[in-house]
Amino acid sequence: MIQSYLTVSVILFCLGIVGVISRRNVFTVFMSIELMLNAANLSFVALARLHESMDGHVLALMVMAVAAAEAALALAVVILLHKHKGKLDTNVFSLLKG
Amino acid sequence: MIALLPELVLTFGALLYFIVSLFKAPDIGLQRNGAIAIALLAFATACLAGGQEATLFYGAYQVDTFSQLFKVLISFAFLVVVIFGQHLKGIRSEIRPEYTMFLLLSVLGLMLLVSSVELIAIFISLELSSFALYLLVPLRDDHHGTRMQMEAGIKYILFGVMATGLMLYGMSYLFGLTGSTYLSEIVPAISAMGDQPAVLIAVVMILAGFFYKLAVFPMHFWVPDIYQGASNETTGFIATVPKLGAVALLIRFMTLPTGYPEFLSELLGGVAVCSMFYGNLSALVQTDVKRILGYSGISHAGFVMLGLLTLGAEGYGLAIYYIAGYVVMNLACFLVICQVSREGENLSVKSLAGLHRRQPILAIILAVSLFALAGIPPMVGFMAKFFLLTSTLEQGHLVLVILAAINTAIAIFYYLSMVKAAYTDDADDADDADDADDAHEAEGAGAGGELQLDPLTRMTGVSLVVLILVMGALPAKLVAMAGNIVQTIM
Repeated sequence: MIQSYLTVSVILFCLGIVGVISRRNVFTVFMSIELMLNAANLSFVALARLHESMDGHVLALMVMAVAAAEAALALAVVILLHKHKGKLDTNVFSLLKG
Repeated sequence: MIALLPELVLTFGALLYFIVSLFKAPDIGLQRNGAIAIALLAFATACLAGGQEATLFYGAYQVDTFSQLFKVLISFAFLVVVIFGQHLKGIRSEIRPEYTMFLLLSVLGLMLLVSSVELIAIFISLELSSFALYLLVPLRDDHHGTRMQMEAGIKYILFGVMATGLMLYGMSYLFGLTGSTYLSEIVPAISAMGDQPAVLIAVVMILAGFFYKLAVFPMHFWVPDIYQGASNETTGFIATVPKLGAVALLIRFMTLPTGYPEFLSELLGGVAVCSMFYGNLSALVQTDVKRILGYSGISHAGFVMLGLLTLGAEGYGLAIYYIAGYVVMNLACFLVICQVSREGENLSVKSLAGLHRRQPILAIILAVSLFALAGIPPMVGFMAKFFLLTSTLEQGHLVLVILAAINTAIAIFYYLSMVKAAYTDDADDADDADDADDAHEAEGAGAGGELQLDPLTRMTGVSLVVLILVMGALPAKLVAMAGNIVQTIM
């Protein structure tokens, strides 16, 4: 049983990493990162069930709270960028090079 | 109570600045002195709490000599950053209280981080310090409307959270294998497990999260862009203080028994060599001073890895000595950058031209710190590299030592080209030159002649130079002390 949960979590995590590396759109990268964090959450909760302890659940909750804060931060900066560029669906990784 | 005093000072400082930020037009002089006073108080209390031992918050927070050593270093570096960045040239005056608040929160997070011995506490304090830091980057004043600080900010956030994701996944395996989140319970549980590959995967993933903070090779890609995009003061902070916290936590996690010490050692050796070559070779072609220092930071992180890969208390002690020396040298460099940059703009190597005539003290500070970074004998940079290479050689990593020595030679070129610009090139001559481009570029740098330097910054700069020389003169004692302190947590 625990194997299936862990397999799903590994697949999610790898999808997240592939997304971060291969996509250039800031929102896709952002969603991929959330996928990575949620993969870790799934793994925490599954393993907490295995050990019958609540620590993993607490950590998963903490991760959710932190992910929410991170979303607020990232979106605020995206809005600042958007005010300048005027279009939302864009490749932000263009100014700083070398 | 005394054990927690530095953290409390920073917490109240951050709250104070939060209240200040609510008012419309806060007094700028008061704000500036307030930040210096809080930093000084934090440093004093960190020294005062130096010998304390305590276990707080149900064992999740441990105050011991190891954590106190790092707290003293962190608060010292923070004090220096606040002093040389006191004018906050790169930040608009309305948002300066917020800037200071985030700076204080970031230092608070790092101080909590070095004392945390439980996975949840480590995660939360790391995020507290990182999130505050992520926000400092886009707060830079937008002189030219390029918004490069926004782009730097979003890159820093996205890649930073990705590194946190890696670390969390490693933590989930560690938790799954042992059923506990306390490092003190995890260590005996996994040493009873023998050579379980899952432990190795978990530890390497957690280390990867901290490699991001230290800017070691596979997690280094953010460094040059964020250094360039952030204001000079912010870069001075990012380049120094978080690296201390990263080394502390790397040492804490390296002490976990993985069952495959040889593999871990080889992995770190590879990472170290890649960092050095990547950092040094990329720095050769850069023209922006902050980008050069960013790439040089990647190569210095490689040297820190050389200390860690020996997996022994002596090597960890050397790593602490090296990073402390690196922080002092880098602070001296950024002190000069912040003073030479008139309105918080980025500096190119050319704009350092004729510094010895415009402000001789700054030129001396820059020369000493760059010589130290390059590893020229009487300074701390040479001693730290020498000790590291000797101890790595004793462990039998001959190839690593040869590659590291080659890298030291490469690095000398770009450090000394900056010293050359400051001492031999003349800004005034460039003004007279016929080449219109040259004259225009020199105008921004040298037109005003004398640079202003307030006495406090001058004093700090001179004491950093003295510190670089003193740390280089008494290395054995400091290394032995750091080694003994690391021994207490193993």
